[in-house]
Amino acid sequence: KKFLFSSPRMATGTQDKQYNPTLLSFFIYNPKFGPKEGEEEKKILFYHPNEVEKNEKIRNVGLCEAIVQFTRTFCPTKPAKSLHTQKNRQFFHEPEENFWMVMVVRNPMIEKSNKDGKPLVEYQEEEILDTVYNAVLQQCYSMYRLFNGSFAQALETGGVELLKQRLEKFFYRYLQTLHLKSCDLLDVFGGISFFPLDKMTYLKIQSFVNKVEENLDLVKYTSLIFGSKDVLRSGLEQDDMRILYKYLTTSLFPRHTEPELAGRDSPMRTEMSGNLQHYGRFLTGPSNPNDPEAKCRFPKIFVNTEEELHLIVYKAMSAAVCFMVDASLELTRDFCVKLNKLVGPHLTVLASDICEQYNINKRLSGPEKEPQFKYIYFNHMNLAEKSTIHMRKTASISLTSVHPDLMKILGDINSDFSRVDDDEEIIVKAMSDYWVVGKKSDQRELYVILNQKNANLIEVNEEVKKLCATQFSNIFFLD
Amino acid sequence: SRTPPPSLSAQVPLSFSLSKDMAADVHDKKVDWELQNGSLAPADGSHSERSESPTPGLIEGTEPGAGQDRAMFVHTRSYEDLTAGGEVKGCPQQMESSLEGQSNMEEINKDFNELSTQLTGVAMDVEEEMESGLDERSLSRQRSRQDSVRSEKEEEDVTAESWRSHRKHVFVLSEAGKPIYSRYGAEETLSSTMGVMMALVSFVEAEKNVIKSIHSDDYKVVFMRRSPLVLVGVARTCQSEQDIARELLYIYYQIISLLTFTQLTRIFEQKQNYDLRRLLAGSERITDNLLNLMDQDPSFLMSAVRCLPLATSTREAISSSLQQAKAKNLVFSILLSRNQLVTLVRKKDQFLHHVDLHLLVNLISSSTSFREGEAWTPICLPKFNCNGFFHAHISYLDQVTDLCLLLISTDREDFFNISNCKRRFLERIKKRSTYQALQDSLQNPTYSCTQVGIPDLRHFIYKSRSSGLFTSPEVEAPYITDEERERLLGLYQYLYSRVHNSSRPLNFIYHTGESENLLAWVTSGFELYMCFSPMGSKAGAVAAIGKLMKWIRKEEDRLFILNPPTY
Repeated sequence: KKFLFSSPRMATGTQDKQYNPTLLSFFIYNPKFGPKEGEEEKKILFYHPNEVEKNEKIRNVGLCEAIVQFTRTFCPTKPAKSLHTQKNRQFFHEPEENFWMVMVVRNPMIEKSNKDGKPLVEYQEEEILDTVYNAVLQQCYSMYRLFNGSFAQALETGGVELLKQRLEKFFYRYLQTLHLKSCDLLDVFGGISFFPLDKMTYLKIQSFVNKVEENLDLVKYTSLIFGSKDVLRSGLEQDDMRILYKYLTTSLFPRHTEPELAGRDSPMRTEMSGNLQHYGRFLTGPSNPNDPEAKCRFPKIFVNTEEELHLIVYKAMSAAVCFMVDASLELTRDFCVKLNKLVGPHLTVLASDICEQYNINKRLSGPEKEPQFKYIYFNHMNLAEKSTIHMRKTASISLTSVHPDLMKILGDINSDFSRVDDDEEIIVKAMSDYWVVGKKSDQRELYVILNQKNANLIEVNEEVKKLCATQFSNIFFLD
Repeated sequence: SRTPPPSLSAQVPLSFSLSKDMAADVHDKKVDWELQNGSLAPADGSHSERSESPTPGLIEGTEPGAGQDRAMFVHTRSYEDLTAGGEVKGCPQQMESSLEGQSNMEEINKDFNELSTQLTGVAMDVEEEMESGLDERSLSRQRSRQDSVRSEKEEEDVTAESWRSHRKHVFVLSEAGKPIYSRYGAEETLSSTMGVMMALVSFVEAEKNVIKSIHSDDYKVVFMRRSPLVLVGVARTCQSEQDIARELLYIYYQIISLLTFTQLTRIFEQKQNYDLRRLLAGSERITDNLLNLMDQDPSFLMSAVRCLPLATSTREAISSSLQQAKAKNLVFSILLSRNQLVTLVRKKDQFLHHVDLHLLVNLISSSTSFREGEAWTPICLPKFNCNGFFHAHISYLDQVTDLCLLLISTDREDFFNISNCKRRFLERIKKRSTYQALQDSLQNPTYSCTQVGIPDLRHFIYKSRSSGLFTSPEVEAPYITDEERERLLGLYQYLYSRVHNSSRPLNFIYHTGESENLLAWVTSGFELYMCFSPMGSKAGAVAAIGKLMKWIRKEEDRLFILNPPTY
């Protein structure tokens, strides 16, 4: 179904080719590592693309250093965060003292051919939103840190060489998963979608967690997620959960196709864990713990700043559970077998209970018809996020159902909000005649795009009021 | 129907020439501002494709304040200068094309030609030539007076926190990285900072790219390359990058207005590391004043000119007196009072650009030396022709009300002729008691927002797009202190930058905040920016639009110049 797809721009000629923003380069450097002339290369800890000639790498790092130094003339404590040029934008982030991460994004461009058939490139300099890509860059660091710990930690353990190795290993793959063109306001929020729980379901989840933690005393933290995106129980500190959630929803879950959805005769289904009592299986660790040859190795993650943990992700039907165990403890196959036996059946039951609740919720919210509006909601206090603009998320790609320009207007409104702490409301009418409403109240932000082009300001206001009353009267405004 | 002269066509947007024809037909039908179903639509419904939306179908040229038959200004789209892609490329060609044909332009061109031959002829030693070329100007500008103001600036410590925390820095440097101007602090103490700026510009250029801006949480650094100059702004305001760039462009034009583009380029062609400060000595104050003016006066933001509210009969009497006091080489006669336009008479088919008028306003307001007697000074109007000098006769008619007459001639030997024009003008208006009527009006040069009769309305700016004129009431409580006034302008800057965003323009904004509610509405005919008390409702605001537009229509004869006169 298409919604809000009309373009506010003039239709461009058929020969025009539109290019999306792309990642030009990404590098990490520390100016303290090669302070002497001729040693500049030592500053560079990671550089993508690696094929770039050494001198060019040094030059580009040099420019960033110069920009940062230059801006310190005007404010020693708040150096540059971005550099805008005609062709690209560079984003700077200093996550640990003297460690600089730089991401260079090429501006979107239109290739037109002039009369002689010669291509003419026009860069669209105002299309990229700083807030969005600054957030993406910060996410890069958080994700690195989730799996590797801090830069300083690597330095302490194995010196510059180890740090370089880790950076190479992590970013080589991670950068390929960045889909810059589909980054938007949701990346700025980095929020978590919560499942709207009723009391009964909440108690069932609580009793499930108690039972598991009682029997598997190695487990330190437990998180639960439904339907590959709605968090039932966080179990971790907000900032850790936010980045773990990002990893699970954009990387791990999409990699594991759902055997529940696969056809009856699919090989997936028959291979499943070799038991019939439940649908449980490991998403990390052994694919079949009952196989004596199975390797019981789990990815390690770092939470609470320096705490290292095994990450066990286990799933039954639509419910996934993350168990986190102290990394210094060794996880044996016996442990995996025990976990499988205990958690599998319980999680299967829990999953079907929640699924039932989910269907009831859906029925209550009325028949699915094309709504007159789409919205994004975010709460800074608990990171709760809800979007009816984004249809689904596959491997880091979120599809939006609105025109990209409208998404950017949402981003603009968000930047306006961040300038002052006061409560504010902004209602705008785009050139395409769509109404866009942004509301900020007490750490919560709501953005609505209305499909009624002919409405007036008063009607738009009424429509948004109605939306708040129906959608946010219960769980979302009561957190 | 008329097309602009070729020399100007480069600057004239398409809409300009299109709209004029329509304006003539439609203007007589006054549009009735009524609210229909809570939305604003023209009652005559003649342009109502989108009548349900809050966009009335007023075509450019029929909005309140639009000129009766032709506009006074060549006006441009907001970012024309910025998007036109570097350099004042238009300039040299513009010169050439204006040389072809156009009988009424011939004299002016001849004059420019002579001037530029004079300028090129002497150039043996650049420095000597420039200094001698400046003689007449420095006489009228009395350099010594300004030195005391500058010395405070010279003493400022550029490494101190107080220097860093200025709200807006502006730097001008040459392509060799030599300091030309700094708003705060002595230029020579900033030579290394400016060197770095130039290095950044060149570095990015070496990659066949152009540096635009640097952003931090607290401030923006905006770069503008206008060869042979580089301008850099560092702002802690909430202004958009484009806004700051527009201000830098004004500073660039300000420098051009003193030197001409031809002279400026030739200086640096001959000596790349020339110290332009020698040539601009004494003019820093004009630049300082321009920056201060831009921080207070919405004219620059709006790219428009504000008229002194005046009864039509009085304005017409003044205009016709100016019209009659013409001379062969007179191109523009301008009467101003405190940055407001009383009237402007121009040679037929010659148009003044609002940027040029703003520069003139700034010139006279930045120097006290014009207050006494008659001044005769060369000035380049960069948007009209960036390669030649006009000669401006500047005289204050009244010290208290700052009533100032500007007569712009093409001939530098014309002083006595033009001075005679002034005398004739004065005689005429004094005889016809027009002068007294004008003086009376100047006692109340502004109006209060309360006159509109909308209780929650605190302030507004209304711009007629086709005439390039705007009107705005006195800034009143609660915006009393300088800080609060600047904050109000900041709010307008915010609205302006959002509706005019180059990639995502908006039609309409309603902003509800703790301190005030704001509204912006842009149509093809006008721009309206309103500031309400935070107690006001949305319904109230919608009703207020209709009421205000009706009021402006009723008052348009007084608030705008509807019949721009020519000689």
